[in-house]
Amino acid sequence: MTLIDDLRSAGLTGRGGAAFSTAVKVAAAYDNGAALIVNACDGELGAAKDAFVVAAHLGELVEGARLVTRGSGRIRYAAHRGSDTETRLIAAGLDVLDVPSRYVSSEETAVISLATKGLARPMTKRAPFVGGGRDSRGRRIPPTVVLNAETVWRIAQIAAYGPDWFRAQGTPAEPGPRLVTIGGAVPRPGVLETAAGMPLTTLLAAAGGMPSGAGYLWVGGLGGVLMPAADVPRLRWSSADLAAYGGSVGPGVIDVLDPRECPVEYVDRMLTYAAGESAGQCGPCMFGLPAIAADWHDLAAVRPGNRATVESRLTQRLALVPGRGACRFPDGVARFAASAHRQLSDHLAAHAEGHCPTSPTHAGPTHAGPTYPGPTYAGPTYSNSPVTPVAESTSRSSRVV
Amino acid sequence: MSNETLWYLSRATGLASITLLTLVVILGLLTSGRRRPFGERATIVMGLHRWVSLGMVAFLTTHIVTAIVETYVSIDWISLVIPFTSAYSPLWVGLGTLAFDVLVAVMVTSYWRHRMTERAWTAVHWLGYLMWPMAIAHGVALGTADQPLLRGTTLLCGAAGALALAWRLTTSYADRDRRRDILAGGWS
Amino acid sequence: MSSDQRRPSRRRAPVSAGAPRIGVDRVACSGHGICAQTLADVVGLDEWGYPIVADRPVEAKDADLAVKLCPARALYLRP
Ligand code: SF4
Ligand code: SF4
Repeated sequence: MTLIDDLRSAGLTGRGGAAFSTAVKVAAAYDNGAALIVNACDGELGAAKDAFVVAAHLGELVEGARLVTRGSGRIRYAAHRGSDTETRLIAAGLDVLDVPSRYVSSEETAVISLATKGLARPMTKRAPFVGGGRDSRGRRIPPTVVLNAETVWRIAQIAAYGPDWFRAQGTPAEPGPRLVTIGGAVPRPGVLETAAGMPLTTLLAAAGGMPSGAGYLWVGGLGGVLMPAADVPRLRWSSADLAAYGGSVGPGVIDVLDPRECPVEYVDRMLTYAAGESAGQCGPCMFGLPAIAADWHDLAAVRPGNRATVESRLTQRLALVPGRGACRFPDGVARFAASAHRQLSDHLAAHAEGHCPTSPTHAGPTHAGPTYPGPTYAGPTYSNSPVTPVAESTSRSSRVV
Repeated sequence: MSNETLWYLSRATGLASITLLTLVVILGLLTSGRRRPFGERATIVMGLHRWVSLGMVAFLTTHIVTAIVETYVSIDWISLVIPFTSAYSPLWVGLGTLAFDVLVAVMVTSYWRHRMTERAWTAVHWLGYLMWPMAIAHGVALGTADQPLLRGTTLLCGAAGALALAWRLTTSYADRDRRRDILAGGWS
Repeated sequence: MSSDQRRPSRRRAPVSAGAPRIGVDRVACSGHGICAQTLADVVGLDEWGYPIVADRPVEAKDADLAVKLCPARALYLRP
């Protein structure tokens, strides 16, 4: 069996969030002799799993990359400038692509653009760049494939243990072990090894559980969704269960919102940040996202008043933005804002009546500017504790490293 | 055709060419200087920019051919493509030749635009900013002084084009401003 | 929403088989809005002047003209 066959029967999909078939991508990389970029940026807000892979499984990561390029062809490791991951990769003597610390700079085509001496901004993808192509100005882009660090690690594992080992974990729809980063208001934030189908309660328990009074979970970062903490007991970690909230397993990020903080204000900060992260290339994104953030800011004010106009304007704008950028950034932000709009409607209504349910004395958000870097946590950047039943995967993989 | 007719025809078509060329340049400046959904006007401006430039070719061809064929002043066929080779007023005729060469490049690249990269097309199209003043200078210098209509119209064209250029350089529109601001944020 | 927003018209002219669809290179598009004129059947403009393209085929000759007239060369044909 070739690697491609193994990947296909394992059903491995990209772990960066897009969940595209890895077998198809690697086959295309073979056909075109594409250069490989291993994306270890942890580009989504709150993500730390690529850092975990580099810190704990670098040997297998390098082996996976070698398999994808079949020993020839350039391999580069993309990491955010100044990150521990970058330091580790450089220390290991690997070819590192130094990615600026901007949200969309870690997007697939932005990384390719940077690697080919362009700016770290996404490019229009008329066809996948694995076959080579050109940017909008006509600059030639050689065949390049970008794979997420966890994906590359899984490729090495599948090559070593076989697709059956892989399929034995997870669900038929989302097979295989996968990493999840849990952060926010939990006692032990970090990266967990688990698989789809795991009860959310089990996952959260591994991070020390949710604080009492927790109201919302933020799943998937800036491209993700909000969901009520009250629903956690009946949910599993799977795209099927998260679909009810408009979400998916995506890049594997769970953030528990701090119950002491007003969620409307939190979303306000996130959307303001998002508006400042448009790469300024596509009209609907560079004008739409700031407009959406401004609408939310209007709605978030704790002040009696009729918000009907802003409500309908926001709804219209949220429907207008998706699918109209070169990359999926506006789609993700619109998904997040729409989800927050749905989940926080009662809270927003209270603000419109002049009080905030979280803190009665609260006066509503004040614009802090787009500097907020997103959720952070003081805990370890990763923990090695696998969440059952995938203990086997770490014990076996540790033999290889 | 008598030599005199040819001479007059050459002048007249030259005048028509410079007027149309100026119009094309102004329409181009309008297009690149304005971004807002003023669809109807923008579409007309863009359509005229393309089609007037094609129409101009007829006048320009006549202008050049007649100027060479008539024998009051001696201009050889070689001066059609190679500048500064004319026996008559080599500098000013040469500017006209140069402008013509650039014009051919601009038009050919626009016709083949979809087969070349945007960068290459832009680079050639920018030469238009050089070509137009050369054509104006050619027109002013050779539009004989005893024919105020010739020189006057050419000067008028020069003034109108300069005005459009000044507007283009000072105008601002949201798309360009936003792109520039975000680009300054650092992406490498 | 603001009055300068234009949706693609609902009028649907029948198109020949194999007619192309329109794609917009969003990075290249600078919002001239000309496509909303040349392809009024399938293209509208949002409140900032950028095209909203309906996922419907258009007559090849209309599409060709629109592609030619886009000053930013942002329009392209997809099958
Ligand atoms: S959609 Fe936004 S972030 Fe993506 S390339 Fe366009 S401007 Fe940049
Ligand atoms: S004509 Fe071209 S530049 Fe203008 S809005 Fe349409 S696609 Fe964009």
